[in-house]
Amino acid sequence: MTKTEQLACHECDLLVALPELSEGQKAVCPRCGYLLTRRVKNAQSRLAALSSGALLFLGLSVFFPFLSFTVQGNEREVTLLQSIYSIGDEIFLSVAIFLFLTTILIPAVFLTGMLYVLLSVKNKQLFPYTSKVLYGLFMLLPWDMSEIFLVGILVSFVKIATLADISFGLSFISYTLFILCLAATLMTLDKFQIWQWVKYRDERNGNIL
Amino acid sequence: MGIFCSEKVIEMNQYENHHITASAKQLYSCHVCLTLNSFDEDHCINCGAKLHSRNKNSMQNTIALLVTSIILYVPANTLPIMYTQYLGEKTASTILGGVITLWSQGSYPIALIIFIASVLVPIAKILALSWLCYSVVTNKGYSFKKNHRLYRLTEFIGRWSMVDVFVVAILVALIQMGTFMSVHPGEAALAFGALVITTMIAAITFDSRLIWEPVNKKPDFEGEMVDG
Repeated sequence: MTKTEQLACHECDLLVALPELSEGQKAVCPRCGYLLTRRVKNAQSRLAALSSGALLFLGLSVFFPFLSFTVQGNEREVTLLQSIYSIGDEIFLSVAIFLFLTTILIPAVFLTGMLYVLLSVKNKQLFPYTSKVLYGLFMLLPWDMSEIFLVGILVSFVKIATLADISFGLSFISYTLFILCLAATLMTLDKFQIWQWVKYRDERNGNIL
Repeated sequence: MGIFCSEKVIEMNQYENHHITASAKQLYSCHVCLTLNSFDEDHCINCGAKLHSRNKNSMQNTIALLVTSIILYVPANTLPIMYTQYLGEKTASTILGGVITLWSQGSYPIALIIFIASVLVPIAKILALSWLCYSVVTNKGYSFKKNHRLYRLTEFIGRWSMVDVFVVAILVALIQMGTFMSVHPGEAALAFGALVITTMIAAITFDSRLIWEPVNKKPDFEGEMVDG
């Protein structure tokens, strides 16, 4: 394969010859401005560190009190999971399932899949289903809504601030850190680059998927 | 072909009018791994995904989902999104009602966030996607760059409408103190969630490459590129 890779813009299909990029540079489609690819310094290690950090914080945020709410001496403390299934008690099971998926399960699966792909690329031989997992990762991406959930929490705080005292639990801090790590992961992630890693691995070992 | 780099911008004016696409060169760009394949292939030589030049039935699917979301917009905004029970007294509030309450309480920024995310964004998204579908179907040359920017904005902001559903979920979870004070979700939460999901899928199925179709060069019989 030649050094300058040809590439079609994913959003407008323009054929672009990609020049060799050095670290910190990015290539943008000359027609529609879509970010074709970017080169982040130590992308693999960064991705591994950030996504395992995010996964750890997400895991921790399940175990501790998430929020507590005090009104006239009555205190109610909820964990992250309780806050989701208490609306499932009613007829709104689908809403509860959607919440659980978009704020916990999908981010968790995404991060686990990411670590799987990164380990697979680092390994001598690709793990089975690496390209399938990678395909799934990019499918899941628009359905992660954890940061919107966080904004929702802040909005509801303002809504009930006049009624009661609200305080953040340990899980809330952990969940916020998880969102920061996840955002940093997505900033580092580059679709073209991660597929190049997989492809390069493949060619060197002569594997045909 | 031209390229932007963060450090220096390679002269690209001379390439501005080269609208040569992968499909004009008889190439499929794999939508999964971005590898270029020739039209002879059915499945990507790199990752094995099924190849297609444009999303299949992109227009039909997007328009169908848009119609669904327009229908859902009505119950989402007219039915109550939550019921508040305070000292035995049960009051229902709609999305717009909630915004008005917040505004009258003086929390203007939050009222604005909710108003923009739950009332303006869904309707703006439906209008934007309808406009994009219209300009693609009529195949007229409007400003492609502006249309593309509109598409990207639509895709980016759509998810943020979910904020109101999350707010209701958190309030319901937190405020559960029996008859003294409790909050229950309303029917609009369901309709509104469905509305956000359908508009998100509509934006995903819409193929932005169709926006550029009128300016793309097409190969003529001698294999030369001509303006489309």
